[in-house]
Amino acid sequence: MEQIESKDQLDQLAKEFRYIVTDIMCRAGGGHIGGSLSLVEIIITLYFRILNIKPDEPRWEDRDRFILSKGHAGPTLYTALAYRGYFPKEVLLTLNANGTKLPSHVDQVITPGVDQTAGSLGQGLSCATGIALASKLHKRTNNVFCVVGDGESQEGQIWEAAMFAAHHKLDNLVVITDYNKMQIDAEVEKIVSLEPVVDKWRSFGWEVFEIDGHDWDDIYDTINKAMAVKDKPAMIVAHTVKAKGNVCYENRIECHFISIPDEDERQRVIGGVCVEGEEEPFEFNWTEGK
Amino acid sequence: MKLHEKELRVVYTDTLIELMTENSKVVCLEADLGKSSGTVPRVWDAFPDRFFDVGVAEANMIGISAGLANEGLVPFCATFTPFATRRAYDQITISIAYAENPVKIVGTAPGVTTAKNGATHMCFQDLAIMRAMPNMRVYCPADVYELRSMVKYMAASKKPEYMQLIREVHAPIFDEDYQFDPNKARVLAEGSDVTLVTTGLTTQFAREAVKSLHQDGIQVEHIHYPSVKPFDVDTLLASVKKTHAVVTAENQNVIGGLGGAVCEVLAENYPAKVKRLGAQDRFGEVGDVPYLSATLGFSAKDMVAACREMKATG
Repeated sequence: MEQIESKDQLDQLAKEFRYIVTDIMCRAGGGHIGGSLSLVEIIITLYFRILNIKPDEPRWEDRDRFILSKGHAGPTLYTALAYRGYFPKEVLLTLNANGTKLPSHVDQVITPGVDQTAGSLGQGLSCATGIALASKLHKRTNNVFCVVGDGESQEGQIWEAAMFAAHHKLDNLVVITDYNKMQIDAEVEKIVSLEPVVDKWRSFGWEVFEIDGHDWDDIYDTINKAMAVKDKPAMIVAHTVKAKGNVCYENRIECHFISIPDEDERQRVIGGVCVEGEEEPFEFNWTEGK
Repeated sequence: MKLHEKELRVVYTDTLIELMTENSKVVCLEADLGKSSGTVPRVWDAFPDRFFDVGVAEANMIGISAGLANEGLVPFCATFTPFATRRAYDQITISIAYAENPVKIVGTAPGVTTAKNGATHMCFQDLAIMRAMPNMRVYCPADVYELRSMVKYMAASKKPEYMQLIREVHAPIFDEDYQFDPNKARVLAEGSDVTLVTTGLTTQFAREAVKSLHQDGIQVEHIHYPSVKPFDVDTLLASVKKTHAVVTAENQNVIGGLGGAVCEVLAENYPAKVKRLGAQDRFGEVGDVPYLSATLGFSAKDMVAACREMKATG
């Protein structure tokens, strides 16, 4: 695949992702919209500019791995997997349907392209650490990427993995914190603060970067810097906006999980996907696949 | 030195070293109890690149093992039974069992064999909770020959598996030719009066009980279950169709473990009277193994009394 470099193309892709994620959740009656939309630029950058993968060979041994430790953002990952050809885009419409291959939380057994089951928070980073360790044992030169949530980082297991990965100098491990500053019950600051989060990771022996998690250049350049770090794992603290790009929910506490009870609400929430400066909301044409 | 003169943990370590020599995919993990499992310092010294002590961080050990297994390695990770099972239960459930990552979990010092460490370390529910987990297999070896064969079986199988590991020396029950098969229980004594079902430590105790019962003229049929899950239904039913009476004994709470498995099978297939020996829904305490097994009610004497009563009232 040709890397996507143009900002216009990336912006268009982000617009489509936001519409699709919102649409498939609405059709499913609800979902974790906030933490899915905050990750759109990060996931697009990984899947269209960074990851060395072969969609027609999902378990190719030398591929880069991606572990979505905050497994509830599955819909954004599924959209990337569909766009990269792991399965047809129409499959996205089966999100959370009975018998689906696309469950709310990511599942390595049933979904092609998902590298690690996650969803019970705090566990994915340990698994990513084991996967990075396995790459070292296999003498592979690939990279292992992992996204953790900010609320998720309240789990003690995150910090167990942080200690282990630094101790074993896992410099093939690049972790991104989706720092959208909100969790289910309230703002992270009001529940249990992560601050000073950059200092915490640094003191655990990680190379730490801080970025705007919606800025294409910042994400891409920093991931490349993180991949070049030697003898330490890298943490990128990405400042993001929860439910970014959906005006109905953007930066609102109630965006963590939304319920869509009826068609009116569905229309309202889908209508929320619009881009600053554009009057008409974007709409994805499922029958034409664009 | 004969194999059965060695401690079980030494044989566990010997077997791991043998496997790691043959197969570069086998790796060993510990959570600061490697000296207790036997792998520190021997496995660490022999394979410094494939031995990982994660420190006192059991949840992380489970997650790292899941990641290693996901990448085709064969991780054996050990710690004391309560920390290997109930402490990291959700991690085992999701990262290993649900994700189908074939990690080999070893719970050392099961039940009363943790002895002087007392109630905090004395896990009586690992068989029950691990058995209740889909995709998980649950094993309890009764001697070194079975242990060795079981560890080799686990290294070759592509399933998540849990094994209890008693550390100390055990009397031999099997021999060099023994081949572990999780679908096969072992009839160690034949009889038609009462069926005695045991696993792990209680299989050791049962040898004395069986001798005593036979001397008293009570024809006890003794069945050892090296695998509590999968559970060999046929061997149990064949026996109970002769005896119509069952005594189970386990180094566990009586709820949900081996006795629970026996009752489930009989209730659905061939109802018969069952007496379950084990901790009677209580926690442990400090003490030595003879004291604790007698206090909790699953010593050889308790088995004899229960089988006699079963015969008398049967």
